[in-house]
Amino acid sequence: MPSWQEFQPFIVTGLALGGVYALSGVGLVVLYQATGVVYLAFGAVGAMGALITFSLIAAGMPHWLAWLVCLAFGGAVTLAYGMVFGPLLARRDALVKATATLGLLLVLFGAMDLLWTTSGGEVRSLTLPTDSGGFSLGHVQVTWTQVLGLGVGVLIAGATAAFLRYTKLGTAMRAMANDREITATLGVPVRRVEAAAWLGCGVLAGVAGLLLADMVALDATTLTFLVISSLAAALIARLRSIAFTFVAAIVIGLVQNMLVPIPAVSSYNDMTPFVLAAVALLVLARRQVMTRSREET
Amino acid sequence: MYGRSWKAHALVALTAMGIAALAGCGSSSPSSSSKSSSTTVSTSQCGTKPGVKATGTPIALGTIVTDQPGTSFTDIPYMAQAYFTCVNDNGGINGHPIKYYIETEQTNPTQIAADARQLVDTDHVVAIVGNTSIIECSIDSSYWKQQGYDIIDSGIAPECYSTSNSAAVNMGPRYSSDGAVQYAISQHVSKIVFDQSNVPGTQYIAAGPNALAAAAHTPIVDLTENVPISNADSVAISEVNQAGPDGAVILNFTPPDALVILKAAQTLGLADKVKLWGCSTPCNTDFLAQSLGAQWNSKLFVNAELTPPDVTNTSAMKLYKDILAQYGSSGPTKVSGGIGSFSQMGFTEAEIAVHALEGITGPYTVASVNKAIREVKDFNTGMLCQLWTYGNYPLHIPNNEDYTVTPDNGKMVTAQGCTQISAVDPQIAAYRHAAGVAGLAP
Amino acid sequence: MLETTDVTAAARPRLTLHRPPRGTAVRAAVTAVLLLFVLLALPQLLSLYYVDAMTQVAVYAVVSLGLGVLVGRVGLVSLGQIAVLAVGAWVAARLLFATAQPYPLVLLESGVITMGAGTIIGLPALRLRGLYLALITLMLAGAFSIVLATTNFPNGGHGFLGYNGKLLQIPPIRRPSFAATDPAYFRFAVVVAIIMFALVFVHIRTRPGRAWAAIRQSEPAALAAGINATLYKLWAFALASFVTGVAGGVYAGAAHYLYSYDFPAQNSIILLAVVLMGGAYNMWGAVVAGFLSQFLPALLNNWGVSNDWLTILFGIGVVQVLTTAPRGLADQFPKDMARLGRLIVRLIRRPAPAAAGGEAS
Repeated sequence: MPSWQEFQPFIVTGLALGGVYALSGVGLVVLYQATGVVYLAFGAVGAMGALITFSLIAAGMPHWLAWLVCLAFGGAVTLAYGMVFGPLLARRDALVKATATLGLLLVLFGAMDLLWTTSGGEVRSLTLPTDSGGFSLGHVQVTWTQVLGLGVGVLIAGATAAFLRYTKLGTAMRAMANDREITATLGVPVRRVEAAAWLGCGVLAGVAGLLLADMVALDATTLTFLVISSLAAALIARLRSIAFTFVAAIVIGLVQNMLVPIPAVSSYNDMTPFVLAAVALLVLARRQVMTRSREET
Repeated sequence: MYGRSWKAHALVALTAMGIAALAGCGSSSPSSSSKSSSTTVSTSQCGTKPGVKATGTPIALGTIVTDQPGTSFTDIPYMAQAYFTCVNDNGGINGHPIKYYIETEQTNPTQIAADARQLVDTDHVVAIVGNTSIIECSIDSSYWKQQGYDIIDSGIAPECYSTSNSAAVNMGPRYSSDGAVQYAISQHVSKIVFDQSNVPGTQYIAAGPNALAAAAHTPIVDLTENVPISNADSVAISEVNQAGPDGAVILNFTPPDALVILKAAQTLGLADKVKLWGCSTPCNTDFLAQSLGAQWNSKLFVNAELTPPDVTNTSAMKLYKDILAQYGSSGPTKVSGGIGSFSQMGFTEAEIAVHALEGITGPYTVASVNKAIREVKDFNTGMLCQLWTYGNYPLHIPNNEDYTVTPDNGKMVTAQGCTQISAVDPQIAAYRHAAGVAGLAP
Repeated sequence: MLETTDVTAAARPRLTLHRPPRGTAVRAAVTAVLLLFVLLALPQLLSLYYVDAMTQVAVYAVVSLGLGVLVGRVGLVSLGQIAVLAVGAWVAARLLFATAQPYPLVLLESGVITMGAGTIIGLPALRLRGLYLALITLMLAGAFSIVLATTNFPNGGHGFLGYNGKLLQIPPIRRPSFAATDPAYFRFAVVVAIIMFALVFVHIRTRPGRAWAAIRQSEPAALAAGINATLYKLWAFALASFVTGVAGGVYAGAAHYLYSYDFPAQNSIILLAVVLMGGAYNMWGAVVAGFLSQFLPALLNNWGVSNDWLTILFGIGVVQVLTTAPRGLADQFPKDMARLGRLIVRLIRRPAPAAAGGEAS
């Protein structure tokens, strides 16, 4: 069993990764609350945005502008999808809506491999200015990027929670999560609120895409399916609470990384999000009432 | 089509067209040498009749190569294709042009088996040249043997090096890792951490480094990582912790994963926490050298299976660069990685094949062509440390001497010249014995 | 689940199960002729490359059939069927290396063991509602793929896992002695597929099928009518796992060598896509799904077109199916063809000037 000192660097990496999972998880939860859609294409959108940013930087665009393009891309694609297919599937249950986003995932996935082919020894990577530089915390070296990952996660979670509670638009989103029909009859501009939710989620996908591309890898497959880890955090929070999503994401990130120095389970550390989510879902199932056939949150 | 959903369909159709248009423009990869020389003089030595286009009945050659998201070796056969096109423009093989069938696969065994049958039954190829696949050797080896083909490949799977009908121009993961490990041992490190991607056959690959470390009485730890790597920081920290300040971390990964680990080590300030870092051949690219910072100069030592192109000016190297520029810089079979070990391998395999074909008098059949391939002996490719021989042996590891290179401000430079891979690795010993090559003492 | 929830439709009783629709005899005859053609003539007509591709079509048609039972009949979406296929292939490979049993027996055993595994996992998961069930299958499949990457597939080694990572030459998984060549194995695969389809057909036409239809319509109503929903949902899981396990066994013999690469998570998503496109409700839909996911890629690969276009097509197809044609291609295609046929007939009957008055479709 490794010593406490040996665990410390993994705690840092775990917190950083957990922060980014939290950021993605919050995006997923907010969109689900407002529209009933589990946005499984979240990772793919972020991945494609990151690849576009990479290409633009390679072509000479200033970094900050290229990052903005990534956010804009995420927002635009998500908004377009939401505005076109949202109404078409509005009356269907959550499973159908989620499955439809799988269609978007496949389209983006195929497009990414077509446009950014893997060949030869070519390797793509995205660097953020926070990569160089950091500070020491005891024996551990902490980079600014890791601080950024955790910081953005905290910031987004906090800001989103506050937004949902204290602003008019946020309240409207919460109302729609409760009951879309009644909210509409109350005069809330439902389509516009939905649009705001889609756009916000899309921009978050872009942010997560950039951070993960830097912290993990700029690889379409990896980034597309990393959404499953964020989804795990959202599921543990029952797709409901921002605070729980944040905590769950941090826990997943920590546990996953802290398993690495333990030789017996080290090679299974990637399973952490899946196992934790499956367990959480099963515990959830025991409490659920079976008789409702319509999707409940 | 129905009601409101026409909007959906229009959007989807527009998106598809947009993607098609973008794909038609080609991928936006920053590294590619697009300088094409208009003179054919320098490349004409690839063939026997400069400037004369070959017009006889084609000689069909075939290859199977992995091409899937995340792993693509297409540069190798594309470079071979460039070489063959050059030959076709300059007299062909006794006036016969070479027709090269390239089958791509996505590591699906049934698909790979089907590709092999396609090449034999439908395309009627007379030789297989240029195979580069994660698993193809395992799957097709007995089929090729049954059909009478002796393969020239750039091997990865164990069967590429352990069967009588496959000879590679490269070393493959095991012997390339041997090279990296033996360099570390030569620098007197106290411990070795050997980390590789978790692909089937990790123990086969690790057996070589473990044998070398055992013979040198150096403790060695074998690690594997699931790829693609998603927590490079943790991987780097784990490796460094286990190696210790006087130890070495040796990596065996594909270029993207190796880069991710090295970058993570760099950002976390771990590069100097061990005595040295080593890497098998996939790290040997200028792109990697450019992506890493200066602290890796003389800190990272990479096994190079082929002669470093930047510092060599032999006629073969010049021909390679000229063919790449003229025939490999554009079109559907563009060599997008440019100058590097992948295209070098493709060049070398094509070179050997052409050499074998040119020696044939009489008809070009499966039997005659593969006999000629087996008879290739002591051929100077200009790309390897050694002369290349196929021969009638139960196993083939014809490339078993390596260079070691290290990054130096954005380029890979030679740190150690041609060194034999140690015969402590039992397979190397078996090959040297079978080939009757004495070899230097390990 | 995939159909629009229309209250009036729910109220209409479903009678079709007792009275066979008209034209059943014609359809049966056409099917029989088609199957005979496929078994006898097709291997002769195709090159080995396409025979191998068609063997995969047979395998994945059965896998799609299993998923179709879950999705189309019961309304349960599983995003982990490829993991189930991997389990079936694993069990078959282990038995084939470790014992000398005849191949059909090994297939049966791999089906049964996979069925056991599927049922054990299905049991606690059944309490979950549609979306959460789908997501938990996704999670479990993800966890499984990581375990598989570490345990690998049997390759003739010893011990429970039967994996020897040090081999210099890996032995192939054997095939049945009567079906060693590729064309013969194709026929074997088709025969196994026919048996699996027949098994599912029998289920659909008898009590389980009726129970599933009732559950899909409205679970509370089914419960109120005295149907043991848990039992029948579990039965669907068991059936889907069994046929997929058998398909895995057929896959093992076809491939000769198994790698964890062959079962990536995205294949489960593509499987769902093609099942939806082909039609989850229709048994022919499973065959269409097999063609889409196995034959088209082989064709495109031969023509030098990237498979990515197919991925994009499947993505578009999923969205299209869910928004407009929930019953999928197998159901929609005959209807579209019929509509086209009627249009043509109408155009032929009326002379040219009147054709402008014909309907636009």
